[in-house]
Amino acid sequence: MAQKNRYGFVIDVARCIDCRACLVACRVENEVSLPHTRIWVKDQGLRGTFPDLAREFVPYNCMHCEHPPCIEVCTSGATFKDPDNGLVLVDQEACIGCGLCVEACPYDARYLDPTRGVVDKCTGCVHRVERGEEPACVATCLGGARMFGDFNAPTSEVSQALARATQVRQLVTDEVDPDPNIYYLNGDVMQTGLLPRLPRYTTAETLWRGVAIPAVIAGITLSFLGQAVAFTKQLIEGEQEFEE
Amino acid sequence: MTQLFTRRDFLKITGATATAVAAGGLLPASVAKAARDAGLIDPNGDGYIPSLCEMCVWRCGLLAKVRNGRVVKLEGNPDNPHSTGKLCARGQSGLMNTYDPDRVLYPLIRVGPRGGGQFRRATWEEALDLVAQNMLAIKEKHGAEAMIFSSTHNLSQVQFENLLNGYGSPNYGTQRSLCFNAMVVAFSLTYGVEEPSRDYTNVKYVILVGRNLMEAISTSETRQLTAAVARGAKLIVLDPRFTKTAAKATEWIPIRPGTDAAFLLAMINVIATEKLGDCDFVSRYVNGCQELPQVMAEYTPEWAESKCGVPADTIRRIAREFAADRPDAMIHPGWRTSNFINSFQTERAIATLNAVVGNVLTSNGCLVALNPEASGVKLGKPPQPAYPRVTALRLDGVPWKYPLVPLKLGIFQNIRDAILTGQPYQARSWFIARQNPMLSLPDRRKTAEAFGKLDFIVDVDIIMNDTAWYADVVLPEASYLERYDPLNVVDHKLFLRQPVIEAQGEARSALWIYKQLGERLGLGEFFQYEDEEDYLRQQLAPLGAELQDVKYKGYLEVPVEEGDGEIVFGTPSGKIEVYSETLAGAGFSPWPTWEEPPAPAPDEFYLLTGKVGQHTQTATQNNAFLHQVEDEPKLWIHPAAASARGIEDGASVRVTSPIGSVVVTSLVTEGIRQDCLFLAPGYGHASKGLRVAYGVGVSDSDLHVTYTDPISGGQALSQTFVTVERA
Amino acid sequence: MSHAEFIPLAERKRLRVTEIKKHNLANILTHWFNVAMWALLLPTGLAILASPRLGIVPELWQTLMRNVFGGTANLIEFHYSVGLVWMAVLTFNILLGFRKYFIPFTRERMFLDADDIEWLKVKPLQMIGLAKAKRLPPQDVYNAGQKLYMYMVIVGTLTIGPTGLIMTFHKLIPWPWLIQWSLPIHFSAVGMVVAGLIIHVYMGAVFPEEKEAFFSMFTGKVSAWYARRHHAKWYWRKMEEEMDWEDRVLAEGRALKADESAAD
Repeated sequence: MAQKNRYGFVIDVARCIDCRACLVACRVENEVSLPHTRIWVKDQGLRGTFPDLAREFVPYNCMHCEHPPCIEVCTSGATFKDPDNGLVLVDQEACIGCGLCVEACPYDARYLDPTRGVVDKCTGCVHRVERGEEPACVATCLGGARMFGDFNAPTSEVSQALARATQVRQLVTDEVDPDPNIYYLNGDVMQTGLLPRLPRYTTAETLWRGVAIPAVIAGITLSFLGQAVAFTKQLIEGEQEFEE
Repeated sequence: MTQLFTRRDFLKITGATATAVAAGGLLPASVAKAARDAGLIDPNGDGYIPSLCEMCVWRCGLLAKVRNGRVVKLEGNPDNPHSTGKLCARGQSGLMNTYDPDRVLYPLIRVGPRGGGQFRRATWEEALDLVAQNMLAIKEKHGAEAMIFSSTHNLSQVQFENLLNGYGSPNYGTQRSLCFNAMVVAFSLTYGVEEPSRDYTNVKYVILVGRNLMEAISTSETRQLTAAVARGAKLIVLDPRFTKTAAKATEWIPIRPGTDAAFLLAMINVIATEKLGDCDFVSRYVNGCQELPQVMAEYTPEWAESKCGVPADTIRRIAREFAADRPDAMIHPGWRTSNFINSFQTERAIATLNAVVGNVLTSNGCLVALNPEASGVKLGKPPQPAYPRVTALRLDGVPWKYPLVPLKLGIFQNIRDAILTGQPYQARSWFIARQNPMLSLPDRRKTAEAFGKLDFIVDVDIIMNDTAWYADVVLPEASYLERYDPLNVVDHKLFLRQPVIEAQGEARSALWIYKQLGERLGLGEFFQYEDEEDYLRQQLAPLGAELQDVKYKGYLEVPVEEGDGEIVFGTPSGKIEVYSETLAGAGFSPWPTWEEPPAPAPDEFYLLTGKVGQHTQTATQNNAFLHQVEDEPKLWIHPAAASARGIEDGASVRVTSPIGSVVVTSLVTEGIRQDCLFLAPGYGHASKGLRVAYGVGVSDSDLHVTYTDPISGGQALSQTFVTVERA
Repeated sequence: MSHAEFIPLAERKRLRVTEIKKHNLANILTHWFNVAMWALLLPTGLAILASPRLGIVPELWQTLMRNVFGGTANLIEFHYSVGLVWMAVLTFNILLGFRKYFIPFTRERMFLDADDIEWLKVKPLQMIGLAKAKRLPPQDVYNAGQKLYMYMVIVGTLTIGPTGLIMTFHKLIPWPWLIQWSLPIHFSAVGMVVAGLIIHVYMGAVFPEEKEAFFSMFTGKVSAWYARRHHAKWYWRKMEEEMDWEDRVLAEGRALKADESAAD
């Protein structure tokens, strides 16, 4: 089913000054419990030697991917891609706190919130988006580095920024490309520390997939076959009125 | 005595202080009622109330989202020119400033020794009576001048000044000499305004001398600079340290500390010699430019290179680039310019450079030399009698030792020193409001000693910071989200600070506190307002505006007075005074001139100070949200210097200055000159009443030697040289 | 006929109309209670499993169940609520009827002996038409197959219950790995019981020889003929009990008569 809108972020790395207003705004807006955070500004550190130095700051949060590994692995379907806006959200009432999605996310954008007992992450401030407002981090970004909007709308800020841009990157590798909806401009972002890792699957989930499910299917199939043969035999032989 | 601080979980946003709010009872609270009347919140108690931030002095306009009598979010007010709809990390964390479990919510009177942190709760009656009693006794016995009043400039300053002027003491301290005396005095003498405002709309070339705008955040200005750079403006940053601003610059110049003036004087030399300036502008508006080439002749780029370490060709190139982009080129006036004694000359050179390229105009240049306070807005004020005549000398030496320092600025550190020396007379008492001299003045040991010599110390604050910890009486001011303050002028708008929630506990506004105190001191006639709203109405009266309307919108627009087209600067000659007769008359060089700064010995380092984007001086380290996003405060040291001392990244090191030493974690980084160390200020709180901040980092007030510029009275914080070794 | 002994016609007719009580009320209620609970738990539990990576449950079923209950959260809440009821009632019943029902039940119906093992080797072959000549050893009140399934159900319940509790109260569990492991364990135990259930339902409800067994799950009774044929050991034990009972009654009568004549 095609989405109505495809909301996502465009980050102009050159404009981020690491003021961290976005981090505080997100915490307050979404009542994120210390010490967890839903968003980051990643500092790759100083590059070069004195006096030829460079330093970049890279705003970072859930990528609201088009093909999210988290949704692939979610046991109860609590995490989903909102059909109206494309944001990857968590129905915290339906989350059972198994944390498989936390392992699976290649960007480590999710965490288990011990106070709520369920998984938490950036929601794209969907409650604000529904009111026609920008996410809190974008609204307060001093440098104008964070941009948010609908990629399906050609006049949106993000669409226009992409159209104008000379250098656009997604944080993907050859092995990992869930088609993230954060595009980075004007930054040297294809670095370890920023690039995604392979999704991880727990031993429990691997055994579930690899052993338990096949075993159960085999067991049930055998049972069913056994029963089917007996039933067929029964039909062929017919019933006896009086038992011997 | 009662144990003051009960155990509270400061990690929850909704702290135990919520009960104080909820305990407001079933009747609608006064703020809620007022906000409802103004149409700002609905019957559920939800809505947005406009007000002003106070997490730093930029005072961004904000919109406070209120729900059920609690503020749940702060947003920038798009209608405020300082915020333009944004709030920085500190502004966003303002909730935690108000709901900090370590707030002082009740008047406190000391029991036990000073600095022991033992207080008992008192009523306002008792506390105010005690303060007034002491203040009157001191006036009686030693004269009003024995009482020192100090406050970091803020919106209620006018009433603070009223108090001290009515009382009759000349001893008025502000934070200014720790910050921008050099800039203000230089620009006052050169342009006739304290601080020209900056317009980045068309700028193509910006030189920053220090002024780490990406970390010393002034929301709107930081945004404008970022936008200018993004659209292609060139940014040149002169700084011995690779700050975040340097990281955004086109060119970073790691200049030797204390030698900015050499670089800038050489620039003047190049521009004057090669005639790259705006001759037309100069001839019309600038005093003394004919002589410039001769006066600046000795300051060649080659000479400058020997002083500041920057290659002569670079200096020459930058001078030419700067002039080529005129008038859309600017050198930022700077702000905190308390670096070296010669910082005053640096500022004079900056003023001169901007003048010679003609970007200083009263309307469409990069620098606007119109005094923002003289915007033509005439606010009303309550009637009051004339102040008593004061004959005593000021303890800080202004103007009798420092003829050029404006009374309004003063020299704060001298007041502290005068307490110790007892010269020209012994001060007995200190009234401090919204200020933390215990941590902000250089040489903390001396400040503690000075406190020890006083009979009585009163502190008005919202939290148990270091100065409050050492006080005899602590009067709880309501936080900025809980109070009214006098109107704030920004461009042609008058902005209102109004309470968005009921004040917690018994905290009260400064306007109320000063009036209460004033009345007890027999100075009631200087405080002729009923309450805060009455005061504001009196301010608005000449403008014919209703307070209700201002409360709803958060501000009032006032018509801009059109000038008559003639450009006159507020100097004695009416022109920009590169050559200053005033300076000459006081026995100082009338031209911007080179003063050789001191330099560290071979095994010593410059100790640099600066700002971090997540904190405001010494005020915010206890804020749990900011604590979460701050970098651990460490000492920056270059790898060569570190390895020569066997210092590894993260190792504990001891930094020693002539007056003290501290032990701190090191950060080995390429981002600093080999002869420099950097320590972010504001940490090292000694107050155990700050449960988040206590024990975090160290304070440079334990290292800084007090140096004062004889011209501007500014501190020279980078003139303290230190050694460092493994701890 | 695999059950061996020859019974004369008159005896057979008499046996057919005589009834023996096979299941008491506790048995019957517990059985149907479990059926009801599983009927609710199995479809909803399966529907919860939405992970595309697991891919066990058809999307149609997932969607249908979510529509019925109004969302994933409600579906989960229904499932664990029923699960909690199931656990609570079982626990309560076992505790309540521990002495009277539970202990005798375990003593009589739960242990496997040599005949059971032999039966387990022969019966499955005979079900699919093989080993027709072989003799089936006599069985007790539950045949070995039924005992085996009982073990599966007990082990299953004791696994499904606690893992279900862990997942229900996940907000109180600070170790995600516990929840992560509970999932496949819960699923495997359910799978095991379901595999057994297929045979159990066939054998109980479809296989013609067990027709009486099926009805006994409602009435509690089977005919003596069925009992002697299919659960010989139990039948003869019951006969012995009946004869003991007869002896006691006769002895009582004689004693009474003796008392009467003594009184004359």
